Amino acid sequence: MDNTTKKFFSSPWRSLGFFLMVLITMIWLLPFATALLTSVRTNDDILEQGFIAIPHEWTLGNFRTAWERGGLSRYLPNSFYITIPALLGTLLLSSLSAYALARFQFRGNRLLFFLYVGGTMLPFQVLMLPVFRLTDALGLYDKQLGLIIFHTAFQLGFCTFLLRNYMRTVPGEILEAARIDGCKEFRIWWQIMMPLTLPAIAALATLEFTWIFNDYLWSIVLLRTDALKPVTAGLATLQGQYVMDWTVIVAGALIATIPTVLLFIFLQRYFIEGLTLGATK
Amino acid sequence: MNKKLFALLALVAILSTVLASCAPAEPEVVTVEKTVEVEKIVEVEKTVEVEKLVEVEKLVDRRVVLYNSYMSDPAPREADAEMVKMFEDANPEISIQHSTVAHEDFKQAIRAYLTASTPPDVMTWFAGNRARFFIDKGLIMDISDVWESEGWVDSYPAGFKAMSSVDDKQYFLPTSWYWWAVYYRKDIFEQYGLTPPETWEEFLAVCDTLQENGVTPIAIGTKYRWTTAAWFDYLNMRVNGPEFHINLMLGKEKYDDPRVAAVFNDYWAPLIDNGYFIDDPAAYSWSEALQFLIDGEAAMYLMGDFLRDSYPDDKEGDLDFFRFPIIDPSVPVGEDAPTDGYFIAANSQHPEDAKAFLGYLGSVEGQQYMADTLGRLPTNMDVDTSSFTEMQQKGLELIQGADFVAQFYDRDTTPEMADEGMNGFMEFWANTDKVADILSRLELTREEIFVEE
Repeated sequence: MDNTTKKFFSSPWRSLGFFLMVLITMIWLLPFATALLTSVRTNDDILEQGFIAIPHEWTLGNFRTAWERGGLSRYLPNSFYITIPALLGTLLLSSLSAYALARFQFRGNRLLFFLYVGGTMLPFQVLMLPVFRLTDALGLYDKQLGLIIFHTAFQLGFCTFLLRNYMRTVPGEILEAARIDGCKEFRIWWQIMMPLTLPAIAALATLEFTWIFNDYLWSIVLLRTDALKPVTAGLATLQGQYVMDWTVIVAGALIATIPTVLLFIFLQRYFIEGLTLGATK
Repeated sequence: MNKKLFALLALVAILSTVLASCAPAEPEVVTVEKTVEVEKIVEVEKTVEVEKLVEVEKLVDRRVVLYNSYMSDPAPREADAEMVKMFEDANPEISIQHSTVAHEDFKQAIRAYLTASTPPDVMTWFAGNRARFFIDKGLIMDISDVWESEGWVDSYPAGFKAMSSVDDKQYFLPTSWYWWAVYYRKDIFEQYGLTPPETWEEFLAVCDTLQENGVTPIAIGTKYRWTTAAWFDYLNMRVNGPEFHINLMLGKEKYDDPRVAAVFNDYWAPLIDNGYFIDDPAAYSWSEALQFLIDGEAAMYLMGDFLRDSYPDDKEGDLDFFRFPIIDPSVPVGEDAPTDGYFIAANSQHPEDAKAFLGYLGSVEGQQYMADTLGRLPTNMDVDTSSFTEMQQKGLELIQGADFVAQFYDRDTTPEMADEGMNGFMEFWANTDKVADILSRLELTREEIFVEE
């Protein structure tokens, strides 16, 4: 036994804790394991044996079916066409507004800030009808641009709130020094504030990417054409009235999680840092 | 540190472009030609260069019809796509932009579709009250001219025409329907020397025998409530007759009528109290409960013909169905046969081409294809039924032998009433002694809903 392992079993409480942890992890992973299992079985096999059983036949065909016939090959790129512009737009605009709110004194600063925060408190379901009517009136219904604009606007509140609080922790003297040297505000924002805010932006980007990428409601409200839909709405079209193509849906869902998982693996460090943003001053 | 981060971001961006760029390459492997078509549209819309778009349109020179469908079950979905392709082959100047939407989502989204300034032109929908709801709001196009020019006035049964008309104008095109019946395991019936019951007494006797032998007589899954409504539909039609039933659906009869109470107390409750149904049905969806029938733990299942789509193919030989047993021979026979079809949005941007597509969907050719592929029954009487399977022939006879055809509880009555009604059925299932309470509450709901209109 190496040192860490020894430490774990140094007292009965510790080892009990360890086993509890393993147990809870296993329970936590059970749905995922079931999903993996389902994705390699056939529908008839599930009907005959139930959801949790050793399959009689194994198949990887579901992934192929999901990609080709299930349309993932076009839904997945669509997800990126929507998520990436929306993400960039939100981050750009919110970092600008956060900078203004954090660093400039002007009348209505507080009020504006509360408007942003208040906006995020609104349950988005109540916006469904007005947003639909507005999009239709602007001629953006059934266009990905409409969805991009909506996501950008809707995520703005939360991002501004978070970034504003983070930017306030940046010492004002740095900015003052730059200003005295004759630096313009835009340059201060881009060359001083943005690099200093990078950990927060990275954390935020991870979060926002997942949120926008996983959005389902707005893509079915604002889009009508199959060819434009992102992966979440696209996968849902595989649900029938009477018959669910479970194996293909699950296989498709597993493929659809890959980008988010990749992102988390790469940006994990920033994400965890982001969780404690503003915890210490 | 920052360089690293940017490198990672760049990697993600590259990954996404790679993913995006491999999409157009995909269709080379795909054999379904429809997919290729859709890919083309995606490509055109994605490349922002307007010139290219114009170029492609000039090259193809096809007019577009937007078609949104709720046929999201695997088998109908493929048949649906095939129909679109067949129409496009026959009409090369028209291109159908076909979108399939999850069935349950479609039912909600249609309100957005129909009120949008650019609605889908052709949409799938349910016949009867559900279609009437939108027709009355002026959202659906009058297609009497299509009925006239396609000769449907003669080739469709009067019942289907009446179903599609408001004030003698046609707004709806019914295309396919399926029957409901009691499905049963032939092999289990043979094992215990049983024959399909025709009367209520025989049905109860069959249940008894099965139960004595350790087989649960009837499977049902009530996780989604509509399965209970089938039992109500049939019991009410068999006991009180279809005329009373449909008037109840239309709000012209009262729920606290003693005749309704009799259905619950004298027929439905004994089945539940005797344990003829499987235990804890609310834990299963209808397809999860199908397991009991497949495993032979249960022997009968009141369900629509779509049951056969989900049944394992290699075991379908053991499956057969019989008409819901007759309770009172003096009462006309009513059957549930939900009908699906199409309509055109009132503010459709491409009305002429949409009508052409609708004409094809209702034609002998189109209906023949759907009937042969999916085993659903056609509405057009000119369709050749000689090639139908034994099951289809039997289903056709079942419905043709009926005096009245109902749609289904949640299609025959208003959505609000259906919602409350099915809640009531669920509550009754758990408390078979509370019939009076439940029915008086349903009566209150009925008054509220139907007085408003």
